Amino acid sequence: MKPFRRKGEELVARLVDAEADIVGLLLDQLEQLLAVDPVDSGGDPVMDRLLPRGHATDPEIAADYRDLTEAGLRSGKADDLAMVRATLPPHGGEVRLDADQARAWLRTTNDLRLALGTRLGISADTEPPEPDASDDDADEEGSQLAVYYWLTAVQGSLVDALAAGRGGRR
Amino acid sequence: MAGPLAPAWTPETTSREESDLDRPWVTVVWDDPVNLMTYVTFVLQELFGYDEPTATQLMLQVHNEGKAIVSSGPRERMEHDTNRLHAYGLWATYQRDA
Repeated sequence: MKPFRRKGEELVARLVDAEADIVGLLLDQLEQLLAVDPVDSGGDPVMDRLLPRGHATDPEIAADYRDLTEAGLRSGKADDLAMVRATLPPHGGEVRLDADQARAWLRTTNDLRLALGTRLGISADTEPPEPDASDDDADEEGSQLAVYYWLTAVQGSLVDALAAGRGGRR
Repeated sequence: MAGPLAPAWTPETTSREESDLDRPWVTVVWDDPVNLMTYVTFVLQELFGYDEPTATQLMLQVHNEGKAIVSSGPRERMEHDTNRLHAYGLWATYQRDA
């Protein structure tokens, strides 16, 4: 991956083939997750994090909030996801984003990190995996953790590039 | 209608209700282990128009104290602010100001 950087009005990064594949697969998984009927996904900690309660303690206000906002949040996430998919080079290559597309990437990579991070039980103390921790039988959780930190790098570079553009500095 | 026989009543608003209405609602952002500090700062600037030092200060309060109030006002607006924060994946709630 060549991290995001600003080129004029655009944000540009480069992904290799395998990275684009992984993003594509993660988008499919997120899409499936968001398509699950709210009634059936109750209690899933990932869904609780993607579509959080509006009020911390009052169930009535939280229910009102959900009625009012959940459909919109879901469709916004679906729109973002479609925009990321449309701007993802299918076999790797350059990702070139305008301001709106960059925000869709920000929100979607964040949702992917929230979903993965919740499944993996990421805490403030979680450390990135050793680059060469090569157990021969590929450790599923270790590789998911690597994907999580890879997404963190992608999103982090995009935030920095956008923030630098806004500040007119750096 | 205000003749001498019209009932002389006024809508009952107790002072307690009035003070409840006056008391603003707030939107709170909570710390979580996933969202990047730079991302939280960016989103607070993006959604609320805070300058970078203000947004950074709020982000640090979230990070160090576990939460921060990022906006206050009428309930509907706090609902809306919470919704916009949720669209960006921040962990936010709204409540009546304590």
